[in-house]
Amino acid sequence: MGAIRVPSPRGAFRVWQRNVTIFRKYWKSIMFPNFIEPLLYLAALGLGLGAFIQQGGINGQSYIQYIAPGLLASNAMFAASFESTFNTFVKFEINKIYDAIITTPVNAEDVVAGEYLWAGTRAALYGTAFLAVLTVLGFAFGEPLISSWWALFIPPALLVIGVMFSVMGTLFTSLIQRIDFYAYYFTLVVTPLFLFSGIFFPVENFPAPVPQIAWFTPLYHAVNLCRALATGPSLATLVDAAWILVFTAGLALVPVQIMRRRLIG
Amino acid sequence: MIRTQSRTSTLIARELKKSYDGFEAVKGVDFEVYRGECYGFLGPNGAGKTTTMKMIYGAVIPTDGELEVAGLDVRRCEREIKRRIGVVPQENNLDDDLKVKENLLVYGRYYDLPRKVALRRAEELLEFVELTERAESPVDQLSGGMKRRLLIARALINDPEIVVLDEPTTGLDPQARHLVWDRLRALAAEGKTLVLTTHYMEEAARLCDRLVIMEGGLIIAQGSPKELIEEHVSPQVLEFRAGPEELERLRPVVEATADAVERTGEALLVFTADADTIMDRVRECGVEVENTVYRHAGLEDVFLRLTGRRLIE
Ligand SMILES: Nc1ncnc2c1ncn2[C@@H]1O[C@H](COP(=O)(O)OP(=O)(O)OP(=O)(O)O)[C@@H](O)[C@H]1O
Ligand SMILES: [Mg+2]
Repeated sequence: MGAIRVPSPRGAFRVWQRNVTIFRKYWKSIMFPNFIEPLLYLAALGLGLGAFIQQGGINGQSYIQYIAPGLLASNAMFAASFESTFNTFVKFEINKIYDAIITTPVNAEDVVAGEYLWAGTRAALYGTAFLAVLTVLGFAFGEPLISSWWALFIPPALLVIGVMFSVMGTLFTSLIQRIDFYAYYFTLVVTPLFLFSGIFFPVENFPAPVPQIAWFTPLYHAVNLCRALATGPSLATLVDAAWILVFTAGLALVPVQIMRRRLIG
Repeated sequence: MIRTQSRTSTLIARELKKSYDGFEAVKGVDFEVYRGECYGFLGPNGAGKTTTMKMIYGAVIPTDGELEVAGLDVRRCEREIKRRIGVVPQENNLDDDLKVKENLLVYGRYYDLPRKVALRRAEELLEFVELTERAESPVDQLSGGMKRRLLIARALINDPEIVVLDEPTTGLDPQARHLVWDRLRALAAEGKTLVLTTHYMEEAARLCDRLVIMEGGLIIAQGSPKELIEEHVSPQVLEFRAGPEELERLRPVVEATADAVERTGEALLVFTADADTIMDRVRECGVEVENTVYRHAGLEDVFLRLTGRRLIE
């Protein structure tokens, strides 16, 4: 009874498949905001604020070139965070979708894993569309926003980044009783990560301990990874990728156990 | 009833208990359900029926005791058990993002049914619960009774050997209720084992081969509807309606000869094997009775006798 539950891939796949079925019906009407939001940041900050940033930009890139790949990472974070917070909460507590699923051979632990995979998929889908737009915009501006063939690895990277943020969001979901509490999660976790993970300025230039703290946060590594894949990676990129994998794997089973206990009396 | 000899059990509970954070909802129940029978759970609100059903379908883990479903231990074989049973939960949990037929198809995938099989079964089942015309409706446009019927169809998508139904007909109009009864009888005739809870005595009397009455987390009576009636109440009931004073004067008159007398708000219920004698006494005593009803004793009389006539909660 107290044993740690490990999800079955088959069960997780079935839950993922359910979400795909529904997404296929609605994607045209729901994808738009997720997609337009990073473009707004790009326009306001990249073009607007970027115009005031002195010649030479950051690390030899223009400001818009600097922030574009980071927005890919944050977009994945937002997509996976919404999926694993509000959307999961509604399925779990309001529509009782999971109560129905767990009376079938799909277990509670499979449900959670399926939702991780789905959040990752959604992050990768949005990210890929945004990546395509960035590539095209780069040609339009005459200064490439995506400059390396390594960028082909961005979609799978966004999948993993999405899973990582889904694990974090699901952990929060597993601990709260009311949907209103997500205000805490977004204000105290998601927004600070968005602002201080090196998307808009390099955190390395801050005095200690800011860079050190940043190293221990997930979006920092996701931004590094996306930026490296967009411009050409180095060995340090492996550290970022490893950080993401270790953090995700280390945390993934915790929400699984808590959610199982909430779903099964 | 004749087949008693050859019966095998498919569901066995021994000293089964469940506590929620110290509150004991089920306090040690024993029951045995035979393959192919319809087995009922009656009991007032909060008696522990749903908790017992949930232990059967794996949504609640027993705190203590044994529970075998289809010959498998619920603690060790949850997936295999869930593969072999169908569940109609007390609370509607259809997938609102999916249409009627899609609900069945997506549910079929959870059982790894091949697409073709799921499609064929979904169509048959929609026919079975008379929802074929609504196949493409969004679920939230169905009436309560249609949702209930869809839940029954959903519970059958994996062709289960045991179907657990927690209040399958609550909220249904009489037509829909009769339709469901009819369908449940058809399932029983196919050899499926049905386990159901209900608050409708008529439903229990019509459908259940055997049943238990639960109260406060315990089973307080069990048997076939006929056995329960024979065991706990007299075969005939006379209901006398009159003003409160008249009823009080009537009570000692009938008490002497009746097996049991119960007073409800506006009537005096007299249980007896010999209604004629009671009628004679009542006529002789001269108390004015507005209205007299004579009927056979039923499950409702047993239920009320055992669980009391007040609200238990
Ligand atoms: N998750 C839970 N946590 C705490 N107590 C619970 C929980 N579920 C049920 N209970 C309690 O257990 C008792 C039995 O509840 P249960 O739902 O099994 O009753 P029931 O016989 O199905 O009632 P009803 O006829 O109203 O459906 C009740 O007192 C109820 O309050
Ligand atoms: Mg109940």
